[in-house]
Amino acid sequence: MANRLRTLRLPGLSNFSAIYLWAVFMVLFGYLQGHLFLTVSTAQLVFSQGAVTAVLALAFLAPLTTDTFDLAIGEVMSLTIVLLNYLPQKLALPFPVIVLGVVLFSGAVGAVSGFIVVKLKVNSLIATLGMSEVLSALQLYLSQNHQVSYTFSSSFVKAGNGDLFGVPYLDLYLLVIAAGLWFVLEQTPVGRRMFAVGGNRDAARLAGISTDRVVWGSLIASGVIASLAGVMYTAQVGAYTSDIGQGYLFPALAAVFFGASQLSQRPNVWGTLIAFFALAFGIQGLTLQFGAGTFWVSPLFQGAALIVAVAVASTRGAVGRGGDGRAVRRVLRRRRDASPGDGASGGDAPPAAEADAERAKVAARAT
Amino acid sequence: MTLNLRAVSKTFGGQRALDGVDVDLAYGEVRALVGQNGSGKSTLIKLLAGYHRPDPGCVAEIDGRPFDLGNATAARAAGLRFVHQDLALILSMSVLDNMMLGRDYPRRRGGRIAWRAARREVSRQLEALHVDVDPLVAVGALSMAERTLVAIGRALADTAGKERLFIVLDEPTAALPKDEVGRLLAAIGDLRRQGHGVLLVSHHLDEVLDVADTVTVLRDGRIEASVPRREVDHDRLTELIVGRPVVQPSLAERAAAVARGSGRPALSVEGLSGGRLATLDLDVHPGEIVGVAGITGSGRESLAPLITGGLPRNGVVLVDGQPVAPGRPRAALAAGIAAIPGERARYGLFQNLNVRHNLTISRLGRHRRWSRIEVRPERAEVEEWIERLGIVTPGPEAPITSLSGGNQQKVLVGRALRMEPTALVLDDPTQGIDIGARAQIHDVIERCAADGMAVLLISTDSSELARLADRVVILADGRAGATLLRGPDLTDTSIDAAQLQSVASPIAS
Repeated sequence: MANRLRTLRLPGLSNFSAIYLWAVFMVLFGYLQGHLFLTVSTAQLVFSQGAVTAVLALAFLAPLTTDTFDLAIGEVMSLTIVLLNYLPQKLALPFPVIVLGVVLFSGAVGAVSGFIVVKLKVNSLIATLGMSEVLSALQLYLSQNHQVSYTFSSSFVKAGNGDLFGVPYLDLYLLVIAAGLWFVLEQTPVGRRMFAVGGNRDAARLAGISTDRVVWGSLIASGVIASLAGVMYTAQVGAYTSDIGQGYLFPALAAVFFGASQLSQRPNVWGTLIAFFALAFGIQGLTLQFGAGTFWVSPLFQGAALIVAVAVASTRGAVGRGGDGRAVRRVLRRRRDASPGDGASGGDAPPAAEADAERAKVAARAT
Repeated sequence: MTLNLRAVSKTFGGQRALDGVDVDLAYGEVRALVGQNGSGKSTLIKLLAGYHRPDPGCVAEIDGRPFDLGNATAARAAGLRFVHQDLALILSMSVLDNMMLGRDYPRRRGGRIAWRAARREVSRQLEALHVDVDPLVAVGALSMAERTLVAIGRALADTAGKERLFIVLDEPTAALPKDEVGRLLAAIGDLRRQGHGVLLVSHHLDEVLDVADTVTVLRDGRIEASVPRREVDHDRLTELIVGRPVVQPSLAERAAAVARGSGRPALSVEGLSGGRLATLDLDVHPGEIVGVAGITGSGRESLAPLITGGLPRNGVVLVDGQPVAPGRPRAALAAGIAAIPGERARYGLFQNLNVRHNLTISRLGRHRRWSRIEVRPERAEVEEWIERLGIVTPGPEAPITSLSGGNQQKVLVGRALRMEPTALVLDDPTQGIDIGARAQIHDVIERCAADGMAVLLISTDSSELARLADRVVILADGRAGATLLRGPDLTDTSIDAAQLQSVASPIAS
């Protein structure tokens, strides 16, 4: 039965669009800037610079599977950075203890967000947006709006800048965190419950899932992962400046949303990473093409790429026939999952189309 | 004859969904379109609505002129209107705003909406259907029948310059409580009197027989019969739909189980209250099927969520004599109460997950090893359930949304049964599903009871209760009213009558 083997699915344009996009960038910029772009050092640069943001993307991904937004991740990351620069100057504790403490503290921040979302029943978008500002205030208080820096041990700096056979350590950390998250999301009961909560919270509760605990836990995980991104940043760059947090938020979000249109077509780890690095290589190529001073390239490209990528996924299969594109796409997606020629849908149209058809009618009527 | 379809076929990927179908509909006629899921009903409607294109070679005419079947714009221009099962209403918006959806509001100078004129217009349209509601009230505050009528009113308001329209009603009573069905059927009568042609799609044969002038039966994509109403009765119609005579299975086996099942109740509720329920005492013994009926507002719709923890409650729920913590479905499941919730799309299904995920979600520990779920044994177990419950699906990995409503419901049955519950609570388990799946689910319920499970069957479907229940408790005003015991007198009519009497008696006394 072909439907059992997910790997047998043909790579469609849409759910592998990030890989195609990546290939296009490699060819395009390889042609335009071959001597600069297609080099090991460029690849190392992109992968080492991207690792921190990619981890931050994973922090956003974890609660998103439960349909919960965590917009505080950027500020959790920069709070970690300021604390790692600030606390060693104030406390006579071994540095690893401080790191551990800061990561746990970030988990506690996630727990507070969770409390606001679960117990106070505040929409997660609002709760974490508010949380984000509070954390920003905490940083400004600690830093007095100045750069905060500390002289880290050489081993810590090496942990952020070294490489293993040319692979930056940071990317190894990224892979470890990604594999861990993938395992939890795709292989364990916890992950299954997270997707169930994300799909239908009422049904999840009635099916015996402690939805509050799942959402709460996902926000704690998000805080911890965002904090790990902060630790990695500190090891790589070092000093805290007050403009770190928000600048990292958008690329992380973009990668997750773009990634959610990839592979299994729901928020997923590898889709996120592929989407992230596809975009990162594109930006690197553009930067090489237009020169180092073109700092506006990155946001323009990130924004445009996100819109285009998700739009491609959303309108795929809107082939003529006068039907609603979205409905047709959903049907096609299901068709692909079903083994051909099976009588599951009886003599009728694919039953999934019924609901879609009705929704299409709503849309048609409402416009 | 003014809407005429000849030799309409539709093929999906090599499968004939419709095979040379002829349908006629006249103005002032109510034609019922019946058939099991998969018989081609919805394909036919989607062709009419212009959602699919027919295979070449068909003839379609409206008022004697050729009509481009499969073209949504042509369908609208020709006066075809559709009211789908979900009604496409926005509950938080007023009746007025819903009626004006998709149309232009009357305007005053400067583009402001002329609210008074709009209100007059809407009131006039509602009056034509004898709907007496304030146009400024939110649709969510209306009864289900009123909502349906608002949706019909909106469809009719889009006249496109025609006096008489063809209106297709797709399962208009599926979501209606029993006591509101009559009101909708009356409105269908109004439509006929006003000269509209009505195509009524319904699973409810009683309604069909009540209101239709002509009946068209589809089976396997072909017209099985197209006859005046008076030429068929309920049994004949069922035979035409199913394609064979319907045999009522014997209840003897279960009667024996019930006899054994006296003694301590497996599920018992004492002084249960919450939601619309004032207070209720009820025992269900092992092997027993206890039915609960009641009109909307009687507390019937609150009962299942109260027992299973979906709603917070007062009072005691005991499983095998052990109390169950309130308000937590997880605790109820752990105690041995499994439930099949009403409104499966809203309270049951995970549309983002596949059949396997949907079926096993309540207990994932069974296939856990080293903290991960082992997919192979999980899939094998799901395949067993697919086999056992006769779930029609390409396989465990198929998206749940690719299944028909009846098969989705069977997945939920599997989810509940694999918890090996002491008590099974069912809330309208066969609502809106086809006859075949309904019969299969009934069989499963009987088998569960025969195996000694205590079954609480809460239903709006009296014939279902009459077929399955050992006794039926009628709820009225949040309390237990009459109890009907199994016997020759336990019929759908007696259950219907008891529910209606339960409303009538306080007024009479």
